[in-house]
Amino acid sequence: MTYIKPKFRHPDMPTNQIGYSKSDYEGAISTLCGGCGHDSISAAIVQACYEMSVEPHRLAKLSGIGCSSKTPTYFLSNSHGFNSVHGRMPSIATGASLANRELIYLGVSGDGDSASIGMGQFVHVIRRNVNMVYIVMNNGCYGLTKGQNSATADVNAASKSGSANLYPTIDLVGLALELGATFVARSFSGDKTQLVPLIKAAMAHPGFAFIDVVSPCVTFNNKPTSTKSYDYVREHQEATSSIDFVPSRDEIVIDYREGDSTVVELHDGSALHLHKLAPHWDPRDRASAVNRLLTAKAKGEVLTGLLYIDPGSQDMHELEQTVLQPLNTLQEKDLCPGAEALGKIMGGFR
Amino acid sequence: MEHLRAVNDMVVRFANVNGTGSASANNMFAKSIFRMGIPVAPKNIFPSNIQGLPTWYEVRVSEKGYLGRRDGIDLMVCVNPQSLAQDVASVQPGGYFVYDNTKKLHPEFVRDDIHYIGIPMTEMCNHHFSEPRQRQLFKNVVYVGALAALLDIEWDVLTGIIRDQFKKAEKLIAPNIKALELGRQYIHDHFAYPLGIRVERRDLVGDSVLIDGNTAAGLGALYGGATVAAWYPITPSTSVVNAFEKYAHQLRTDPETGRRKFAIIQAEDELAAMGMVMGATWNGARAFTATSGPGVSLMSEFLGLAYFAEIPVVLVNVQRGGPSTGMPTRTQQADLLLAAYASHGDTRQVLLFPSSPKECFDHTAAAFDLADRLQTPIIVMTDLDLGMNDHLSPPFHWDDLRAYDRGKVLDAEALESIQQFGRYLDTDGDGICYRTLPGTHPTKGSFFTRGTSKDEYARYTEDGAAYTRNVDRLMKKWETTKKYLPPPELFQESNQHAQGLLFFGTTAYPALESMDLMQAEGIGFDAIRLTAFPFNETVEAFIRDHEQVFVIEQNRDGQMRSLLINELGVNPQKLVSVLNYDGKPISANVIKNQIVGRFQAVS
Amino acid sequence: MVNWESNVFPGILGRTCDRPCEPACRRGRVEDEPVAICRLKRVAADNKGDVNAFMPQAPKEKNGMKVALIGGGPASLTVARDLAPLGYEIHLYDDQKAGGGMMRSQIPAFRLPESVLDEEVGYVLNLGIHTHFNTYVSSMKDMLEKDYDAIFVGTGAPKGGDLPKLPGRWDCKTNNIHLGIEWLASVAFGHTTRIGKRVIVLGGGNTAMDCCRTARRLGGEKVTVVVRSPFKDMKASPWEIADAQREDIPILNNMPPKKFVVENGKLKGMWFEQIAAVYDEHGKRSLLPTGEPDVFIEADDVIIAIGQDNAFPWIERDLGLKFGQWDMPVVDKHTFQSTLDKVFFGGDAAFGPKNVITAVAHGHQAAISIDLYCRGESVYHRPPPMTNLISQKMGIHEWSFDSAVVTDLRYAVPHVEKQAALTNRTLEVELGFDAPTGFREAQRCLNCDVQTVFNTSRCIECDACMDICPTSCISFTLNGEEADLRTRLSAPANNLEQDLYVSEDLPTGRVMIKDEDVCLHCGLCAERCPTAAWDMQKYLYQVSKAAPIWNISAL
Repeated sequence: MTYIKPKFRHPDMPTNQIGYSKSDYEGAISTLCGGCGHDSISAAIVQACYEMSVEPHRLAKLSGIGCSSKTPTYFLSNSHGFNSVHGRMPSIATGASLANRELIYLGVSGDGDSASIGMGQFVHVIRRNVNMVYIVMNNGCYGLTKGQNSATADVNAASKSGSANLYPTIDLVGLALELGATFVARSFSGDKTQLVPLIKAAMAHPGFAFIDVVSPCVTFNNKPTSTKSYDYVREHQEATSSIDFVPSRDEIVIDYREGDSTVVELHDGSALHLHKLAPHWDPRDRASAVNRLLTAKAKGEVLTGLLYIDPGSQDMHELEQTVLQPLNTLQEKDLCPGAEALGKIMGGFR
Repeated sequence: MEHLRAVNDMVVRFANVNGTGSASANNMFAKSIFRMGIPVAPKNIFPSNIQGLPTWYEVRVSEKGYLGRRDGIDLMVCVNPQSLAQDVASVQPGGYFVYDNTKKLHPEFVRDDIHYIGIPMTEMCNHHFSEPRQRQLFKNVVYVGALAALLDIEWDVLTGIIRDQFKKAEKLIAPNIKALELGRQYIHDHFAYPLGIRVERRDLVGDSVLIDGNTAAGLGALYGGATVAAWYPITPSTSVVNAFEKYAHQLRTDPETGRRKFAIIQAEDELAAMGMVMGATWNGARAFTATSGPGVSLMSEFLGLAYFAEIPVVLVNVQRGGPSTGMPTRTQQADLLLAAYASHGDTRQVLLFPSSPKECFDHTAAAFDLADRLQTPIIVMTDLDLGMNDHLSPPFHWDDLRAYDRGKVLDAEALESIQQFGRYLDTDGDGICYRTLPGTHPTKGSFFTRGTSKDEYARYTEDGAAYTRNVDRLMKKWETTKKYLPPPELFQESNQHAQGLLFFGTTAYPALESMDLMQAEGIGFDAIRLTAFPFNETVEAFIRDHEQVFVIEQNRDGQMRSLLINELGVNPQKLVSVLNYDGKPISANVIKNQIVGRFQAVS
Repeated sequence: MVNWESNVFPGILGRTCDRPCEPACRRGRVEDEPVAICRLKRVAADNKGDVNAFMPQAPKEKNGMKVALIGGGPASLTVARDLAPLGYEIHLYDDQKAGGGMMRSQIPAFRLPESVLDEEVGYVLNLGIHTHFNTYVSSMKDMLEKDYDAIFVGTGAPKGGDLPKLPGRWDCKTNNIHLGIEWLASVAFGHTTRIGKRVIVLGGGNTAMDCCRTARRLGGEKVTVVVRSPFKDMKASPWEIADAQREDIPILNNMPPKKFVVENGKLKGMWFEQIAAVYDEHGKRSLLPTGEPDVFIEADDVIIAIGQDNAFPWIERDLGLKFGQWDMPVVDKHTFQSTLDKVFFGGDAAFGPKNVITAVAHGHQAAISIDLYCRGESVYHRPPPMTNLISQKMGIHEWSFDSAVVTDLRYAVPHVEKQAALTNRTLEVELGFDAPTGFREAQRCLNCDVQTVFNTSRCIECDACMDICPTSCISFTLNGEEADLRTRLSAPANNLEQDLYVSEDLPTGRVMIKDEDVCLHCGLCAERCPTAAWDMQKYLYQVSKAAPIWNISAL
């Protein structure tokens, strides 16, 4: 019965560094179609939060509207969630982040939510470098309204309805690179070995971390004519590198051959270990990421993995020079200048 | 030829080209009279333009303390050839017309029933100042100097204002005083003065201040504890956030670290502005935005979510002329229905109607408490007239013992003590439920905020019964709301007349003045000033207890009247609209004429 | 009939079984208590209505062969039940006055009402069995000389353990020191109706529990069970211990008996040592005196219930029937045949004291052997058990089994009021589940019968099954050695007794691995599978019988 998930969990499940088991990061049972890529991404989020030893209540999950935006119900039920309106999650996340800079913000959006109705907010949240993880579950179609093409559908790709898409695709990754995003990655819902470390790195990144996850819609867009099907992506997937996220508290135990690997250190002392690097690509060089992306596109490849990271990213709070204490904890004494100051101000108006 | 004669009772209008720096000179004029202890009511009449179009500044001087706009110009200072014809025509017979006679006035503009006072302002400035920008700017100061003589403004008061104004740029004091002197001297040398209309020191303003409503609202937000302001620039609300920003920088910056106890984000549009406010308030910060009608239209989507998901919001709506882009720089009270029922579905929003800068301050500060207490948007409905014009206002006060009412928020300790947290569970029976903030407790109190229907435990449901329970509870909360809102103001000890006047916001000044005017003609009224929506029992009783109630408002459709009929089930025959919607603030005469006209028509 | 087909005594076993099945119940892997399988069998048996019409019949035409069954207990009765429908003429010998063996003599009526026993023994005997009750078979030789084509020995373990060397054991001149199983039989058959006010029961097994509780009902006011070893090593079933304790019977542990105190031939009580169990590094236990003073317990009667043994004094040792270690007959573990071809053993008589359900299992196998033997076929060419596999899918999330996993904890069986129970020896203590509670308890079942069946060729590796599985049983990973694989799964596969299912290679080069260990059979994997690569299929297993009794798959 997919509307009831049994309460029992594996009795030997290990716990993470803060004593939580993976089940502490679960949510309600999914109501998406069986085999939906989005569910895999939810599972990857659960896995990443578990491995990162995130306290579930110290994370807030936010979404817009659409199949993808339903998913926050399906993970982290001990986290506050906010299912906002279509395409407007970035503004909610921005406000939430302003109010409390100490929580982790995890935004989930879809291709319709981010590349169409919410494009305005998407580009501006990138500009502001809001400290959040922003995942687009990208299936190239509108699932909840029965499979219309979305703005990320490739030209000539056809969904279940059979009509080929006439218009050029919007590549959110390319857009994010162009807009100056400080963390840009693409992954595939069917590749958790890549996706989980990317989500972990995104959580550690101090700023806007964007992951475009190709996530097949099994019901409307998993046809041979689709470029967002399981088969197509598996056949055309090309990774920039393989990736390991090493939290600051862990000792680095694996040695990799120089030249083949690189290490990106993050501000909190954690590090990204990248191996099997793509040629002519440096994750810290935006131009090389753009080139690599275009090269892959020309060859018909779906380029995945970490594309670009700016380890010196300054997030919105740094740009705004807000106090370190969360704004939502400030009290009257911090906020209200008092009667005397008001009296002085009044004097200026006489 | 007749000479208008009056002491401390006149309307002086300045006709300028916008972008020429006339505003500060005109302000100086108004302030000088204010500092002589005489009530003034200045109004900007400006175009939606940055440079080169006509703009007017009008100052009503009223010893009786009438602060509404009065029709008829007693003295016109015209330094704009583009509006010359119109300006000449607008002066009352017997009135005065001050102009720059560097260029000779064309005969077609010469009326024989007004007095012309030509001053070669350009010529004088060209002679005395070398910088082109200074020549431009000081022309304005010159005419203020001239007015000092013509109207008998105390010289020390004027120079005092200049000294105050340039406290931080002292080298500008002397040239400004020089320009003033030039104007005064020219009058002294060429005209008999003072004129028939003039001012005379009084002690009528007490400790009042001369301040605009937007500054007041911005200060109210600061004192109300706002830490996040998210906004999109739009006339006439922009200066609300500007004021907040100015005072926040002064008063909320940590002197040691330079870090700020606030954040102001200029959003990409009003949708995002409202989204940021909601994200912040959902997460426990006090946040607000300011906008005008077009912005409210865009925010409607989020306002529905805020109403339904019960998220506190403070929104200052500085109304302007609509619909659509409408008259962006003119005033109206025409967003009432839009705001009261903002968003699709069964929504209703709490509105506050300040009618003075002091109330802009008080209502905005209180709006944060109300929003937290009621967990819903609070919309402060001011307008361009109140927001952008200086008004004589009682000074604002703050009680240092006042604590913010953060409403029903459960902390970790409280969550520990309850069995099962239900976000939309009406445990107190007042329709207001307890909320929790993200990050409070590891295992208790998390919930999902959503715009879709849900049950008492915030779980998604499409069950009609659960939906009905929820929206019915929201109506219960609506009833509860009434007891928290500021009460209406009655202008009577008891009901003495069969007719009543009902007004709100900036309509209050001229409405009260019109009462005096009509009283003088032997027509008496009871009166009530609304301060909030939903309407409480006092409003209901006032309408019930009068045969006829004139609803005075500044829109075409009688929106407040509709709201009263709709919400209170009043017989529409009983409510008579008194309307003005030409974009200028309504005047006492307009009110009087419409009401008296109605009586004449009936009799 | 499903209940009866293999079990033969569901009403009896549903009250008295040692429950060897329950530790195997996988419910016990996800929470403390398994499904109350035993007591559910009772519910099913008690509520079955009249089943006489469904019962197999012995054919009127016999096959001309005769089989003798020695002993009337569960093993023999099972052989009788399985063979009679094939036309064998069955002769059953027992020294008791009715069938049932130890079920009748040793299980007190307050646990097993006589009516239940009579009914279920009756279903077998009604198959035209020739009974020879009150007949003690004293010579195998005599039996072999009769014209039986085969002889089955199901005589149990009739000899109660004693403490012949304990000081004072033989000083008592009155009949106040009893052997547990004999004393219970004596009570069962109405020979004994009273016991003294102060009773000591020695022993920690189920017989001791039955003895002490029976003693309470025969006038024992201060009944004490004394066990030599630690409490946790007691052999009695935990629920039987709990039932005894509920009847105000203290159980003292770590106290080996030291001597009987008899004054003037009259029993006064017993002395006990005090010991503690000490374990060496190999976990070997020694019971060492603690040095605390010995304890004296007054007693009017002592019941010795310290185990029971086999005894075959009636089998002559020169018949070619070999005896081995501990003077036990040499019996084949699978065929239950002795070294004398036509003699078969089963139940406690075959391999020593076990329990009733084991005896039934022996009976089924022995019946097959006897049938094969009588038909001149090899007893080693045994028929396979019946199995099948049928898809249970009904809709997107609907299965023809109850896939929802309830979280109810095991329900407790209600008891009669204690005072009433203690004053009536034959009043059944357990009331049994009522039907609704029984249903709820049955819903705790994790449907081991429904298998998760994986079809590699259909899988598109969308991970949906792995992501949804509540107990993390499913993994997609690269193949490897089992020991390595067990550490790389979604959850550690620590139960080495549970094999891993490893699929064929999938297109990405990975394999799907399922660890059945704590699978809930909730069907979510199959429901979330977009390509029906998973299916839930019902598996039936019917233990082989000499004759088809009832085709359970036809239900």
